[in-house]
Amino acid sequence: MVDVSRVQKELTECNRDREVSGVSITLHDGANISHLTGTIAGPADSPYEGGTFTIDIRLPGGYPFEPPKMQFVTKVWHPNISSQNGAICLDILKDQWSPALTLKTALLSLQALLSSPAPDDPQDAVVAQQYLRDYPTFAATARYWTEAFAKSASTGMEEKVQKLVEMGFPEDLVRSTLKSVDGDENLALEKLCSG
Amino acid sequence: MDSDVEMNAASDEEVMDDEDYYDYCYSDVGDDEDDGGGGDSDGELVGADYDEGLEAEGSDVVVSRREQTFAVLREEDISERQEEDISKVSSVLSIAREEACVLLHHYKWNISKLSDEWFADEEKVRHTVGLLLNGNDRPRSRKLTCGICFEGYSSDMMSSAGCAHFYCHECWEGYISAAISGGPGCLSLRCPDPSCGAMVLQRMINKLAKEEDKEKYARFLLRTYVEGSKKTKWCPAPDCTCAVEFLGDENYDVSCNCKFNFCWNCTEEAHRPVNCETVSKWILKNSAESENMNWILANSKPCPKCKRPIEKNQGCMHMTCTPPCKFEFCWLCLGAWSDHGERTGGFYACNRYESAKKEGVYDETEARRERAKNSLERYMHYYERWASNQTSRQKAQADLHKAEKEQLAKLTDIFGIPETQLKFIVEAWSQIIECRRVLKWTYAYGYYLDDKVKSEFFEYLQGEAESGLERLHQCAEKDLLAFLPSLKPDSNETTAPSVAEFGDFRVKLAGLTSVTRNYFENLVQALEAGLEDVHATGQAAATSSTATSSKKGGTKSKKKHAKPSSDHTDDGWPCERCTYLNPPSVDVCSICEKSRYQT
Repeated sequence: MVDVSRVQKELTECNRDREVSGVSITLHDGANISHLTGTIAGPADSPYEGGTFTIDIRLPGGYPFEPPKMQFVTKVWHPNISSQNGAICLDILKDQWSPALTLKTALLSLQALLSSPAPDDPQDAVVAQQYLRDYPTFAATARYWTEAFAKSASTGMEEKVQKLVEMGFPEDLVRSTLKSVDGDENLALEKLCSG
Repeated sequence: MDSDVEMNAASDEEVMDDEDYYDYCYSDVGDDEDDGGGGDSDGELVGADYDEGLEAEGSDVVVSRREQTFAVLREEDISERQEEDISKVSSVLSIAREEACVLLHHYKWNISKLSDEWFADEEKVRHTVGLLLNGNDRPRSRKLTCGICFEGYSSDMMSSAGCAHFYCHECWEGYISAAISGGPGCLSLRCPDPSCGAMVLQRMINKLAKEEDKEKYARFLLRTYVEGSKKTKWCPAPDCTCAVEFLGDENYDVSCNCKFNFCWNCTEEAHRPVNCETVSKWILKNSAESENMNWILANSKPCPKCKRPIEKNQGCMHMTCTPPCKFEFCWLCLGAWSDHGERTGGFYACNRYESAKKEGVYDETEARRERAKNSLERYMHYYERWASNQTSRQKAQADLHKAEKEQLAKLTDIFGIPETQLKFIVEAWSQIIECRRVLKWTYAYGYYLDDKVKSEFFEYLQGEAESGLERLHQCAEKDLLAFLPSLKPDSNETTAPSVAEFGDFRVKLAGLTSVTRNYFENLVQALEAGLEDVHATGQAAATSSTATSSKKGGTKSKKKHAKPSSDHTDDGWPCERCTYLNPPSVDVCSICEKSRYQT
């Protein structure tokens, strides 16, 4: 099973200097230690600057001897991250994982990946091609995605909640429904209406 | 043969290794002699093995015997050789056995390459492989934090791979266990710290891993010895633990101690005279996928809407796809059925098809469908014969087993002939088994042969060989039964065949065996020569020996030979059809019953 005491130590250690490092980890739903949520700040001097990216982290039973499973929840336009489902192509999350690495170092590696993509080993071929052939368009798209998905998340959320509450739904339910559909207003409304 | 070219094209380095390898073998034998018996067991073991291999070959390879170009290694032999290699490297480089072990693994058990590079630049080799010169076994401080679980431990509870990164024993166990369940990669396990390359040696594994993991590690180590070397491969037969070392440079057919014959190059079943490339193509073709595709292509059309293949099994052209698609369309034009009103000329006279065909829109797809149908039929022809020879071969193997187990003893009882003199029956069956194998693969060969002239020649040779084999198989299968007690004991008494009759049977079966062997030798030789003879028939026929005179030399040349053959009156005359050497006293071939003078 997951080494609980190690994960707890990791959480404390990681969140201690979150302001400096720009990465943080929280429990996803409070109870389950093997399901976490990480956030990384978009690195400076990159199209992702200013954005906050949420990453879904699941720890397999063999953690830390097996690598954690990480996936972007926030939509990202990046050659090594799927624009469809947020899957990440990074060696230390696969065969280069070592138990001497931690969730924090993995998140820092993701941050580094955002600053320096590896388009020759792409996860998303469309993005990678654009990166290689038309960098300005790539940078513009990535910046746009950062604006649209990585910034509005926290501020936009309150507006959405308010909108739905005004429609007559209870606030608790609105919040949990919005969360379950990753903040998609229309999906949440559909769900709320269907019961 | 492509495979041959590959072997020759291998780098010079390898050739050098070969020499070194043999030098090493010889010098080892020399040592044994000097010892005067101390290490004799090595030499004997190798020798014994070699003999066993020979015996196995002797019983199985009947078509054509060749020099043995391989050696079968049992598990004990493998680990013994491995141990020897490790000892040698450990003493020559003056390093510990475990270190020698990881070095050898890194260099794929290539001793000469390892020692060359080691003596050229020891530091570099140590660095790449992760062998530290000055092991750092004891930590400086007494209390340390494990780099994996982040708990504090006293230093005696921690270990490192000789580097400065100490981890607690529990974490080591988990780390090693995860690596071992990840496969043979665990043999080059490094320190968990990503920035450190220190190799985890076997003594660490033995000290820290669970029992089952230690065993797995040892098994991986044994496997790498066979898999790393370019000259050894595992026998592919299920449950066989032997490996085969290949020493020749052509004829890859080898025979394991478990009696399994396989091609050392591609590890498929032995397939001489057909080359590995043809075999792999054929096997791929047989793996249903491609043929299913062809069938679907030939007999179905995709639904125009959901693209699922549809086979037409009702008379009319109004097709309705199965739910959930339910698309209604016309089989002929694949257009929506709703368009098939008066406007288009009525439901059952789809003129759109005709007009489309005139424009050439459907020509391409129709032609493809037709081609697929033809090629499917052609493939079926070859596949059916390939598969039925396979079945016949398996049956023959069972029959050989039965003959050895029961029938020979019975025949000894009945006719009072010792079993040693009944070997001809076993030989006949072995010949049948071998020939069925060759014949089977010639059908794969035939399928890929597209030269028309060669094709004719090939089919002629194959036909001759096949009919010879059928005669032999029939004789071994049916005629033999007459000499074995039938199910009804009463009739046995009255119709019991005489010893003389059995003698005739013996002559016939032995004759057919040798005749069939000749036919197949011809076939194998011709195919291995790429059927080149066909372009030089005239000369070939003139110089061909009696064994090959049944080739496509044309009947004319045979007629010319008919008279000179009477010169041989003293030693008999060879039959024109089956080449059997008959005694001069008979005028009709004792094997195939062909007249001596009639052509």
